[in-house]
Amino acid sequence: MPERTIDFGKFGARGIKGSEAVARKLDYLADGIVTPVTVKRGLMARLHYLTRTDHSRKAARDAGLTVTDRTLKAWLDEKRRPSNANLERIDAAYRRVRRRNVARHLLRRLNAGGGTRVEIHPLNQSQVPRPLQRVVEYRTMNVRRWDRIVEAWASGDQQGLDDAWEDVIVDLGSQWGQYEYVTNIGFAA
Amino acid sequence: MSDFDAIDALLAAVGPQAELPPPEVRRELRERARLSKAQVARTLGVSPSTVGAWESGRDPAEEIRAKYAYLLDGLAAKFTTGTAQEATPAEDAEDGDEDEARGETGDEAGDEVESLATAEPCVLCGSPARHRVAGFAQHLDPADCRPVVAAPPITTQPTAAQATTTSPGTRPSRGPAKRAFQEQSGPGDLIGRTVRAALAEHRGDVDAALAALLKRAIPDAMRLLDETRKGARYDIVAHPWIPDVLRKQTSRGADQIWEARPKWTRRELPPGRHEVTALDINGAYLSALKTHLPLGQLEHTTGFAHDRRRAGVHLITPPAWEHGAVLPNPIGNRDEPGPLWVTEPTLRLLLRLSGPKHALCAPPEIHESYTSGATENLLEKFRVALKDARDTAIAEDDEVTLEYVKAMYSKFVSTMGESNYNRELYRPDWMHIIRSQAFSNLWMKALKAHDEGLTVVRAMGTDELHVIGDWHRVFTEGRGVTEVKTKDIYTAGTKDTDDTDDTEDLPGEEE
Repeated sequence: MPERTIDFGKFGARGIKGSEAVARKLDYLADGIVTPVTVKRGLMARLHYLTRTDHSRKAARDAGLTVTDRTLKAWLDEKRRPSNANLERIDAAYRRVRRRNVARHLLRRLNAGGGTRVEIHPLNQSQVPRPLQRVVEYRTMNVRRWDRIVEAWASGDQQGLDDAWEDVIVDLGSQWGQYEYVTNIGFAA
Repeated sequence: MSDFDAIDALLAAVGPQAELPPPEVRRELRERARLSKAQVARTLGVSPSTVGAWESGRDPAEEIRAKYAYLLDGLAAKFTTGTAQEATPAEDAEDGDEDEARGETGDEAGDEVESLATAEPCVLCGSPARHRVAGFAQHLDPADCRPVVAAPPITTQPTAAQATTTSPGTRPSRGPAKRAFQEQSGPGDLIGRTVRAALAEHRGDVDAALAALLKRAIPDAMRLLDETRKGARYDIVAHPWIPDVLRKQTSRGADQIWEARPKWTRRELPPGRHEVTALDINGAYLSALKTHLPLGQLEHTTGFAHDRRRAGVHLITPPAWEHGAVLPNPIGNRDEPGPLWVTEPTLRLLLRLSGPKHALCAPPEIHESYTSGATENLLEKFRVALKDARDTAIAEDDEVTLEYVKAMYSKFVSTMGESNYNRELYRPDWMHIIRSQAFSNLWMKALKAHDEGLTVVRAMGTDELHVIGDWHRVFTEGRGVTEVKTKDIYTAGTKDTDDTDDTEDLPGEEE
């Protein structure tokens, strides 16, 4: 069988990239502000998070929020409202700073005690014609080193995360290609 | 000349090897001293896995061996002096055994008593002894002889070990043997050990120990769950994909599942004054752990009949309920009409009531379901371990264990969904199903009371049932999980003399 899926969903299988599921789970574990940035409450919470200290201001600037201090002050005092493009930028900057702040702590917990057990729930074949369906089982594995995964996730490097995750699932054995796309990946930290 | 020095050194090194206690004792000594393998390994300059190997049968080489023997010797000495001081209170339980043992060994005690450099486990009590009589290591003074675990309340293990070791002529064998009756696999006395350790750590300060135990109830419950699932048929799937109906809409909101919590008070009482008894169902959530739990990921189906081998959540249109005057509605008191998502126990209750035996309502109409293959045995060992600990705690009036067990199961159930307090398990479906099972159990108790001729006055929450009449012939009173206890007795109803406008309100919810 091919090790990489060339045309996923051609016969009706449904699922998401394994690395994307990992990123979602890590985001869930990172546990940030849930109110959307378009709401005032969510916007102010994000701005406060990004401007609380000089360090966080610098981190926000590095994460792509390149506006002047004057603008930031006006936003914080609610004299002006950020444009839609800037709202998106604020949200992206928040996500990156948050991930970067949480990453170290998360990494320590994931690596602790000999790694973390990961559940891999296979892709959904309910829409695939019966003759083309294959037995793809639920699998679990232990991931010992999370350094590359968490680093790629924290820096927002989708391709890097994908590569790192693929190196992990190769350990599933010769059938690892079936687990490139999944419905869910579960682990605790 | 230097050649001969080297040979002398070599000869000196060849001398008698240091005696080491058997591997199990090495481990026991280290664990009783609360030392980790890593700590021991660091001190001796070896790796932790080497220490592990020594404790499972391998022997260290000469120089390290001497160090290791010195360490174990020191630990053994520490514990023998420590146990001699506290031996007196734990002794009386073992009186019979000791007398018997003294009788057996008394005649030979005079001739060959040798003292041991390294403590060996006493054949009578298992704790390290420094003398050997007729080839058996044992304590000379019966006061030193004490059980391995002081006053074991729950364990079966130490008594079994004593029974085998007191028989004459057998070596104290601890490893697995080819016996007809082996110890049942399971968590053993995990709960009892944890409680004893906590009490020892807080030097008998019950409140502090209890507070510490309650704090670690959730991780301990997860550990107990892992222990009980060893060698089991099904794996616990902790993080499956969750359908949207089971997801919370907002971080603090609820999902769409209706758990059918009963909240029902009888509209009007039969005429006259009545003595109402408020009954309390013991350990309702503990009993509810026995329920049909979906094993894997929930799969979507539409419009099919109920499959008894699967469990999950179902979108149903509940049947009309016409017995509201005497019995609560099995789906709880729902204000809105129309279809709703219920869990497996509620659906099974409705199907059962619509069956030919009860015929109390029409069958519910199932529209769609998220189900998975189910088993009732998934949490069975876990439940039994908790129930046994609870029963023993009640028998011994051990409030600490009782509270600890209660915290374990109730917190386990309440945090097994999307809780930040327990991230090991992410099964909101199980949480809803277990709760619904508790409500369904209460409902069946109400039906039983009704069928036996009692007047059901109120069914509330998970464990509250108010009845009028002689309930002793229906339920047994006690503290076990199959029994009920009385919470309150009060009178209610209209007086016989003036039977108008004098209805007393039922008292509000207690506690």
